[in-house]
Amino acid sequence: MKGIVFTEFMEMVEASFGLETVDTIIENSELPSEGIYTSVGTYDFNEMVSLITSLSEETKLPMGDLIYTFGLYLFNSLGKAHPEVIQSYNSPLALLYSIEDHIHVHVRKLYPDAELPTFKILEKTDTSISMIYSSSRGLYRLAHGLMEKAFEHFNGSADITYELLNENGTEVKFDIVQNG
Amino acid sequence: MDSKEVILLKKALERQKKARIQAEKILEEKSKELYDVTHHLKETNSKLENLLNEKTSELDGVFINIIDPYVVMDLQFNVINMNGSAKEFLGYDHTKEHLNLSQLVHPDYIEYTFESFQSLLEVGTLKNYRAKIFTKDRSEKWVQINSSIIYDAERKPIAAQGIIRDITQESEIKELLSEQKKQLDIIVENSPLGIVLTINGKIIKVNKAFETLLGYSQQELKQLHVKDISTPEDKEGSINLLEQMNRREIENFAIIKTYTRKDGSKLLAKTQVSAVRNGEGKKDYQVAIVDDISKEREAEEQLISSQNRLSTLILNLQTGVLLEDQHRKISLTNKMFCELFQIEASPEELKGADCTDAAEQNKVFFKDPEAFVMRIEEVLKAKKVVLSDELEMVDGRILERDYIPIFNNGVYKGHLWTYQDVTLRKNYKQNLEIQKEKYSSIIANMNLGLVEVDTNDVIQMVNQSFCNMSGFTLEELMGKKASDVVKVTDPQLIHEKNRQRQQGTSDSYEVEVSQKNGSTRHWLISGAPRYNDAGKAIGSIGIHLDITGQKQLELQKEKLLLELEASNQGLQEYAHIVSHDLKSPLRSINALSSWLMEDYKDVLDENGVFNLRQMQEKVESMDRLITGILQYSSVTNDNQECTSVDLNQVITDIKEIIFIPDHVQIKITATLPTLLADRTKIHQLFQNILSNAVVHIEREEGLVQIGVADMGSHWQFSIADNGVGIPKQYHERIFKIFQSAGTKEHSTGIGLSIVKKIIDLYQGKIWLESTVGEGTTFYFTLKKER
Repeated sequence: MKGIVFTEFMEMVEASFGLETVDTIIENSELPSEGIYTSVGTYDFNEMVSLITSLSEETKLPMGDLIYTFGLYLFNSLGKAHPEVIQSYNSPLALLYSIEDHIHVHVRKLYPDAELPTFKILEKTDTSISMIYSSSRGLYRLAHGLMEKAFEHFNGSADITYELLNENGTEVKFDIVQNG
Repeated sequence: MDSKEVILLKKALERQKKARIQAEKILEEKSKELYDVTHHLKETNSKLENLLNEKTSELDGVFINIIDPYVVMDLQFNVINMNGSAKEFLGYDHTKEHLNLSQLVHPDYIEYTFESFQSLLEVGTLKNYRAKIFTKDRSEKWVQINSSIIYDAERKPIAAQGIIRDITQESEIKELLSEQKKQLDIIVENSPLGIVLTINGKIIKVNKAFETLLGYSQQELKQLHVKDISTPEDKEGSINLLEQMNRREIENFAIIKTYTRKDGSKLLAKTQVSAVRNGEGKKDYQVAIVDDISKEREAEEQLISSQNRLSTLILNLQTGVLLEDQHRKISLTNKMFCELFQIEASPEELKGADCTDAAEQNKVFFKDPEAFVMRIEEVLKAKKVVLSDELEMVDGRILERDYIPIFNNGVYKGHLWTYQDVTLRKNYKQNLEIQKEKYSSIIANMNLGLVEVDTNDVIQMVNQSFCNMSGFTLEELMGKKASDVVKVTDPQLIHEKNRQRQQGTSDSYEVEVSQKNGSTRHWLISGAPRYNDAGKAIGSIGIHLDITGQKQLELQKEKLLLELEASNQGLQEYAHIVSHDLKSPLRSINALSSWLMEDYKDVLDENGVFNLRQMQEKVESMDRLITGILQYSSVTNDNQECTSVDLNQVITDIKEIIFIPDHVQIKITATLPTLLADRTKIHQLFQNILSNAVVHIEREEGLVQIGVADMGSHWQFSIADNGVGIPKQYHERIFKIFQSAGTKEHSTGIGLSIVKKIIDLYQGKIWLESTVGEGTTFYFTLKKER
């Protein structure tokens, strides 16, 4: 998993729960990297799983919600880091529609070895889109948060419902209907 | 800031430092990696560049050195580059003038060219594009182009390159070949010779003539093997030769063999077989040319036999033949020649003998030897045809000699002598003349007039008798038209007869002619057509007999006959009229006497009554007499009908009519025939005899028997009675009219004369046998068919 996800996650934990929580989850998680992350590095995904599990124990919050929150956070961070990507869209639906063909293409330019989820578009209208998220990581809530934030970014909102197509959450169907 | 916080911060800081070092390390590694990659890329680049240069120059060389024209053009057909060969071939140089290839294409191929180009664009390559183009010198060329598209770095087509092959000659050769093949096919198909192509004897192809020769179709022949159509006796020979050919021992052979046609008949043909070796040496074809020589063979045989006949003929000719060549050597002679000149050698042995001295040697045979030799020399010198030279030989024979020089295309090639013994012919001529004289004197002195005329009736010959008959002299008749001199009452008849002669008819006819002195004579002429040697009618010969005497007698006879007929007729009519006229006063007498009898029966005494009765009877008797005369005179050939008459029926009828005394019986002893005759007359005939027979029987039992016998051409009837009989002296007289044997009052003496007359009509006879007191048998015959 790319280092930027770790560094951004740490930023979110520090911002949301304080430096102490950061230190606690690092100490509790027996990380091979010892919690030392740089955005240009690449780390084992299990470290992320350990960190989230530790955070959930520490804060007594469900993991899914944590991941969702991280998604909300991550959108802003990514938006700040690569504003030109978001600027090239004038609607959140257009942005969602282009994840696979455009955004991920740019991701691969910077991180050729990135392991990205795939979004398969099932249906798209002017006000809605439905697609299937699929990734071995099963971080569909992360995707949920990112989508939510995308609408927010364009000063809109949407009803986002999802349906797990398997237990692991590696295949999830999203139905997004834009409000207004 | 409490210590806990400080510791946390320190720890965080520591992690940040380490993270930074880690990041720096990563970056350093990435930098190094980048450097290495760049370096590697540079190296690869320069390598590629070198490679490219090398290839380019290599390719340049290849293109320059390509023998075939090579052209690169843009997609609008404008030439970008071309090699020397292309410049030479097309006549254009793109460096000196703009060249658009589409303008070179022959108009017929424009469309095809654009289609091909589209296909090239789609596929990228195009093979075997063939079209006609014009080169700069406006000559037409056939080209074949293999081309491909050139793409830029982004796979966009930017140009096309092609290699041109000049196939003008190839195309021409192809056309020529197909033309020649066509011509060959025509020759093969129309050849009068049968042509067959075989592989190891298996028939592959045949021409029309071969089909016709053998009567099989092409399809049928293709199923057959050579041996299937060869006759068994020829099979081995031709198969052997074919095997030799297959072993490559021989290349061709010719044999005369017999083929079997589809219908089983034979065909004699000269067959020439040639091997056609395939380049690979694997498959060998055999071509056989089959020539039907049945006719030639036949003609040859006929020629030989006719030559044989001719030479036999010459050899046995009754004319001596001597054929000499231009060097006076004998080419041909025959038996007769040898005999004529008493040569002992055979004609065969004389061939080649020198004839230069022949005349000198043979002159002894001739009466005038010197003249013979001189004449031969003279004839030989002239070299002109001489016919019928007559030569007298010492032994009295006479020879006729012909000389015929022989020229071939105007060149003297020898000559032919023929000698013919004409001694006999000469003698015949003399004999003939003697014979002619003999017959001439017969003709001259015979009693018949002889005249020969040509088709125009002009007299060619007359004999002395004719002169006497006609009264004209020989000079007055010869060369004149016969009808002009001898006047005939009916000239049309003579004209008609002459016409018949020309058609070849002979006959005899009578004419009336006027003699020179004007008296009329009757001639009987027998005429026959005269023919010349060719069998053509050239006139007629007439033999004349004077029949004036006979003719006059004949005329007299005819006149007498006519007179006789007339007087006969008169007589008959006279008898008829007289008898008829006599009857009517007779009837009056009869009536008057009857009245007298009735009125004065009582007044007259016995004697008077008796006399009156007698008078009445005499009148009746007179009436019968007249009726008989009437009947007699009516029995003639005229007015008689021929019908089928059953005599049995006739007798039955008669029995009913005539008076038959009670003691008399009429019996028919044999069934009587049915005649084809006049019923009434036959009735009269039998009635007269029978009525005579029945009344002259004085015995207690009278019997009249009727019999018949077949005498071939006649029937012979017999009517026998057992009556009083007729004395011998009456046997002749009774058949004459008014003669009667008996003294009976009823007898008129006419009955039997009528019988006689009827029998005469039927060409029969009547006679009788009679013994007085015992009876009489009348016999008479009647001809069955008249």
